[in-house]
Amino acid sequence: MKKMTALLLSACVAMGSLAAQGTKETAPVAPKGPVDIKISTWTSNKDQIAILDSFVREFAQKKGIEIHADFETITFAEYTTKLSLELQGNSAPDAYWVLENTAPAFIASGYMADLTDALQAYDYSDFSQPAMGLWVKNGRTYGVPFSTSPFFVLYNEDLFAKAGQKTPSEMASDGTWTWENFRKTSKAIKDATGVYGFQTVDGGGYDARILHNLIPIVRAYGGDAWDDQGNVKINSKESVAAIKLFHDMVYEDGSVVPPGDQSDFYAGAAAMTVGQVSRVSKLADGSFKWGMAPMPSGSAGSSAVIGQAAIAANAKGKNVGLAKELVAYMTNKDCVARIAGIWPPARKSVLESEGFLSSNKLVTPQQMKTAVAASIKSGRVLPSHIKYPQIEVESKMVWDKLWNKDADVQAICDEVAKVYTKYVK
Amino acid sequence: MQQSSLRSQQRLEAATGYTFIAPQLIGFALFVLAPLVMIFVYSFQQKNLLFGTSEFAGLANYKELFKDDLFWKTMGNTLVFSLGVVPLNLVLSLAIALYVGGGSRGVGFVRSIIFLPAITSGVAWSIVCKYLLQGGDTGPINWFLLHLGLSAHNWLFEKGWAMGSVIVSRVLKNLGMNVLIFIGAVLNMPQDVIEAGKIDGAGHARLFWKIKLPLLMPSVLMVMIVTVIGSMRVFDTIKLMTDGGPEGSTMVMVYYIYHKAFKMFDTGFASTLSIVLFLIVLVLTLLQWSVRKKVSYYEN
Repeated sequence: MKKMTALLLSACVAMGSLAAQGTKETAPVAPKGPVDIKISTWTSNKDQIAILDSFVREFAQKKGIEIHADFETITFAEYTTKLSLELQGNSAPDAYWVLENTAPAFIASGYMADLTDALQAYDYSDFSQPAMGLWVKNGRTYGVPFSTSPFFVLYNEDLFAKAGQKTPSEMASDGTWTWENFRKTSKAIKDATGVYGFQTVDGGGYDARILHNLIPIVRAYGGDAWDDQGNVKINSKESVAAIKLFHDMVYEDGSVVPPGDQSDFYAGAAAMTVGQVSRVSKLADGSFKWGMAPMPSGSAGSSAVIGQAAIAANAKGKNVGLAKELVAYMTNKDCVARIAGIWPPARKSVLESEGFLSSNKLVTPQQMKTAVAASIKSGRVLPSHIKYPQIEVESKMVWDKLWNKDADVQAICDEVAKVYTKYVK
Repeated sequence: MQQSSLRSQQRLEAATGYTFIAPQLIGFALFVLAPLVMIFVYSFQQKNLLFGTSEFAGLANYKELFKDDLFWKTMGNTLVFSLGVVPLNLVLSLAIALYVGGGSRGVGFVRSIIFLPAITSGVAWSIVCKYLLQGGDTGPINWFLLHLGLSAHNWLFEKGWAMGSVIVSRVLKNLGMNVLIFIGAVLNMPQDVIEAGKIDGAGHARLFWKIKLPLLMPSVLMVMIVTVIGSMRVFDTIKLMTDGGPEGSTMVMVYYIYHKAFKMFDTGFASTLSIVLFLIVLVLTLLQWSVRKKVSYYEN
C-alpha cells in the first residue's frame, strides 16, 4: 500500500512538474497527408463560418495540401475561460480569435505564436498603428486584427415613428445626437409606447459586457476606465457623470431594459441597442424597419469606441507552422476585403475603398460611411490589460452595487477604482 | 493438501472479484484519486493556468486563504445555502412522501409533478427558473404577483432575494429524487407497528414523531448526507441564474473555486480552496455518520 501511495504521489508530482514547464513554441513539422486544423471563434453564424471555411480551402489549394477545418464556436461570455483551458490540453485549437481586452494576457502567456516571419509579405503600412498596437510586443507581431469594429446605435424605426420622435440618424445629421438627447428620446419612447427605449449591448451590460456598455458614454464625457500610463480614471468626475446618466436612465426614467429582464431589441422589445456590423445579420428577417447611427456625443465631443478581435496561431499547437501561414492568408488584403462587410478591417486600403461601403447588403453605403468607417478612423479600442481577467472578475462584484435605485454612483466608482488600481498600477 | 487447495480456491475467487471491480477501481484511481492528489500538490504551488507557470509556495496559499475576505464571504454563503436547502428539502420531501405513500387521492399527479424537475437537466431547469424570475413586469412570477396586488421584485438581481430564489429553485429541482427515496421507505414501514400505535390511541402527530420518523430515520440520514454534500457542491444553478451576484451574495465555495481557477487563472489558490472544501465535506459527512447510531433506532 505504501509503495502504491509513493508511486501515485511521484506520478502526480512528475505530471505537475511537466505541466509547470511553461509555454514554448512547438517546432513546425511538414504535413504528411490531410491536416486537421481546429479554429476557435465566438460566432455561431453559419454564413460567417462558411466564409472563414472558404479561406481555409483556398489556402489548402494554394499550398497543395488537404486541410480538414473544424470550426469551434465558444459562447462569448465563456470564450476566454474555455479557450485558456483548451490551450492547456489535447483539444487545443490551431488558430483562434482573441479579444482585445485579453490580448496582453494571451501574448504574455506564450500561447500566441510569433507571426512576424509568416507576415513578411505584409505591407505593414496598410495597418494603422492604433489598430496593430495591441498585437505587437517588442517589435514582434502575435495577432492580426480581423475585426476593428466600432460600436454604433441600432434603432427600431417603427417604434420611433410610433412615439413621434426624431430618429438617431436625423439627430446625428442635424448635430443634436448627444447622450442627453439619447436619454430624453429613450424615455419618450418608453412613455409613449410602453416598450423600453434601450437595451444594453447584447443584453450583457450588467454582467459580461459592463465596460462595453459604459465606456462609450464615459469616454464621450471625457472619462475612461484607465489610461496607457496606468492612471485609473473610472472615478473621475467625468466618468461618474457619465455613469450616473446611464444609472438614471435605468432607475429614474425606467427607459432601459433593467438587470434581470430578458426583453430583446432584435425581438422588437426595445427601441435602441448598441451593436457592431456583425450583429446586423440578426435583423435580416425584416420584422421591423431599422436604422443605424454613430454613438451619441457627450460633453467631450464624440468618442467612437472600437471592439477589436484578432486571429492568432497556437504557439503550442501541432500544426504551428501551417497555422501561422493560415493566419497570414486569412488576413491578407483579398480575404479582408471579402469579410469587411461583417468584420470591418484595420487595413486602410480596404477601409478607403468603394467596395467597403457596399460590402454589407443590409447596410447602406451612407450608413457604412457615417456609423462605421468614420468611427474606425477616430475610434479607440476598449480598455485592455495583462491582468484583465482578474480585473473583470473582481470589479464585477463592485459594479453589481450600481444596479440599485439608491446606489451612490461616486462611492461605487471609487470602490471600482480601488480594484483597478490594485491591478493596473 | 486440502488446506492448500482451499487457499488456491480463495485466491482464485479473490482474483475473479478484483477482475470484476478493476474497471471501476482504475477509473476511480485515474479520474478521482489522482486529480485529488494533484490538487493537494497544487495547493502548495503558485500556479497560473494561462501562463502555464508554477512554483513551490509552501503554505503561502493557506495563509492567504485565511486573510481573504472573499473566502469567508463564500463560506458564509455556502452555509446559508446549505441551511436553506437541506431542511427545506428534507421537510418537504418527507411530507410529500408520507402523503403520496399513504395512497391519498391525486397521488399519481403529485408524483409526476414533483418528479418532473428531477429528470430535467440542471441547465434547462436553471434557464427556466431564470426566465420565470425575471425582474420588472415581464417575468411570469412578477406578472402573477402584480395581478394579486403584491409587489414585484428583481429576484435574481436584488441582494435580499437572490439567495432565497436560488435556494427555492434548487430545492424544487432535487425534491423529486428525495421523495422517491422516502416513498420507498414509507412503503416499507412495518404496518403492524403503526396499526398497534393507532389501536393504542396515538394521534397523527404522535404516530409521526414516535413511530414513523424513527422507522424512517435511516433513510432520513442517508438523504441528509447526500443533500448536504450536494448543497456544498452546487455550481450549475449559481452559474446560470446569478453568476455569483449580486455583489457576490450567491458566490458559494465551488463557484469561487471556479472563478479563481478558470476566470482568474490562479489554479494554486483554487486548489487550496478545493482542499478546504473537501475537508469540510469530509468532516460533515463523518459527523453525520457518527451520530447515526444515536438517532437511528432502526437500521436494516
